[in-house]
Amino acid sequence: MEDIVWYLLSTVALLSAIAVVMIPKPLYSAFALVLHMFMIAGLFAMLDAHFLATAQIIVYAGAIMVLVIFVIMLLSLQGAEERPSLLFSVASFAIVAALARYIVPRLDAAFGSSGTDLAGTVKSVGELLYTKYIFPFEAASVLIMVAIVGAVILSKREKKDAA
Amino acid sequence: MPLNYYIVLATILFSIGMFGVILRKNTIVMFMCIEMMLNAVNLSFVAFSKFHGNLEGQIGVFFIMVVAAAEASVGLAIIISVFRAIVSVETSDSNELKL
Repeated sequence: MEDIVWYLLSTVALLSAIAVVMIPKPLYSAFALVLHMFMIAGLFAMLDAHFLATAQIIVYAGAIMVLVIFVIMLLSLQGAEERPSLLFSVASFAIVAALARYIVPRLDAAFGSSGTDLAGTVKSVGELLYTKYIFPFEAASVLIMVAIVGAVILSKREKKDAA
Repeated sequence: MPLNYYIVLATILFSIGMFGVILRKNTIVMFMCIEMMLNAVNLSFVAFSKFHGNLEGQIGVFFIMVVAAAEASVGLAIIISVFRAIVSVETSDSNELKL
């Protein structure tokens, strides 16, 4: 049962990732990416990372993708561009497959093939985040603040009489 | 599922994202492909965290998500201001610095 769910999630994740790259219209790429984010969230849940699965849906599928779709619609991009060349895609896939063939057999020796019973619940992640990693956590809030101010300054229309 | 499967999946997703950045000319699609690469790395972080029995990998993923959110807001603001200047989001149209 678990295997079936895993193969389903990873197949849809792969197909939607290919769709993001190959579909000419940016809006449809964005919708494919939303699907992709949900599949990754499902894989996180299968790895018992419950907090991150929820955060993935809220932050990526919720916030970031809404922002991207909003920008696409705001700019009303119509012109379809040419599709990326299929030959190059197949060649690049072959390179990756060759690399993976080298790396993958060496992983089992390093980590073993059975998972631990670690669960990334809100409680366990939160405890670590608010004790050992409290300073990076606070620094992250400053980073978000800087990003907000930066986005406002960048997208503010310059006054014509300033020149 | 063994760790291998997750790493292979993350590798393939990362490379699809990377080749998306190389092949596409639309800056918004390139941006989305960068998000996809970040996601692939997140997946391998969580898989290694699970198989290593160490929760700190998931803390790393949390901070990657924070940085991705900041990157999304600033990156899209840059795309919008470039669009205001040259009325295009294609990389081939922003050639002001070209010799």
